[in-house]
Amino acid sequence: MLKDLLEGKPLWHPIHPMLVHFPIGFLVLSFLLDLFSLAFPEAPNLVRCSFYAMLLGVVTALLAAVPGFVDYSDIRHDHPGKAIATRHMTLNLMVVAIYGLNLWLRSSALTESQINLVPLFLSFIGIGLLSASGYLGGRLVYDEGIAVGRHKRKTPTPQDTLHLSTGYAAKDGETTFVSVPNAEHLRNGETLRVEIDKQVMTIARIENELYAFQEFCTHRFGPLSEGSFHGHNVQCPWHNSGFDVRTGKVTNGPAKVDLKTFKVETRDGQVGVLITKEHDQKT
Amino acid sequence: MKPLLDFLKGKWLGHPLHPILAHVPMAMWPGALIFDLLSQCPIGGNAMVRLSFYAIIFGLAAALLAAPTGLVDWSGIKKEKPAWKIGLYHMSLNLIVTLLFAVNLALRWQTFREASEVDRIPLLLSAVGTLILICSAYLGGRMVYEYGISVARMSKKKWRKLAAAGGANLPPEKEKPC
Repeated sequence: MLKDLLEGKPLWHPIHPMLVHFPIGFLVLSFLLDLFSLAFPEAPNLVRCSFYAMLLGVVTALLAAVPGFVDYSDIRHDHPGKAIATRHMTLNLMVVAIYGLNLWLRSSALTESQINLVPLFLSFIGIGLLSASGYLGGRLVYDEGIAVGRHKRKTPTPQDTLHLSTGYAAKDGETTFVSVPNAEHLRNGETLRVEIDKQVMTIARIENELYAFQEFCTHRFGPLSEGSFHGHNVQCPWHNSGFDVRTGKVTNGPAKVDLKTFKVETRDGQVGVLITKEHDQKT
Repeated sequence: MKPLLDFLKGKWLGHPLHPILAHVPMAMWPGALIFDLLSQCPIGGNAMVRLSFYAIIFGLAAALLAAPTGLVDWSGIKKEKPAWKIGLYHMSLNLIVTLLFAVNLALRWQTFREASEVDRIPLLLSAVGTLILICSAYLGGRMVYEYGISVARMSKKKWRKLAAAGGANLPPEKEKPC
């Protein structure tokens, strides 16, 4: 499938972060060469070198954009990283537009020994925006965990969280049945991300059975609804902690604390989970 | 010592430093190979020869800066983890690549001002160096995308809050660094 290919699943590595090295490197090099052309006007060809570096930077930026759009579209809509990703993309589009204009302005003055002020200024702005954008892109990986461990998952990940409610204020310790109609349509290895009165959980189908367990890994709280399944184990995409979905027990570190699990039942022909109202705890 | 280590880990920036700095050699050295090849074509003439030379220097400068940040990140990985070994290979390959491009640069030093094309031996060094670099960079990427090195290291408090709000079982507050 084309989407899997552009997400780099066959390589076990996302493509977009591989390609972005090139625009970042070449556009910074181009700016440095501009500055050198001002400092050493006697050195020949610096303006021309800067133009070629910029050209390569823009071409590779356009190449990197393609898997970037695919990665962006695959982030869950209510993921806390989605807004950062939108800013990252917007900044990158601005950077490409600025450098497109920059290239056009330079193309007629390649033989000069010092760069003109207008293209230099455009490069300065471009590098500023590119740095901000690159930083946000890094935060998407290192803070938000976007694309981390994604290649381990064979089925699509949830695009949204399903918000449900018990419908009334349950007393402490009271167990309520909440029907989750979408769960029936899950295929093996697929998951739902469900929030029932603030309790966030993953519902997964494994070997034709449905299981429900807490969404957040107990190590660094990675998203188990984006995890992969090995027998009855769910593996966290981030640091590969494993849990038995039937009991919630840790089967593989670094996590040490078991998952909360929820009973899945069919009542009156409807699939749902049993959820117990807990004491409100301060954590 | 600790403030220095925290600085090299990128805590002040909220982003690990090594993957930022690694962008530069990773772009410059394959770029040098591209410019070397274009100079043979002949496209750009001496401009390509010079561009390749500048790219190698810029890459070397950034690689020297990236090395200590990488070393600090690697020293934070436990020895029994698979990522430790990958990090060792990543580091060894990077050392080889850096040496290759240092030699490469030295070979060009005399000729880059005048030459209209890059000689065979530096061209070959660029090609071999680029090949090893790609392997090494892939391993570096695997450390992040397969084993989650540096992932949620600085954001774990934020995620903990989200998990707590989402009714999750949580580990005890004081987690050992890993």
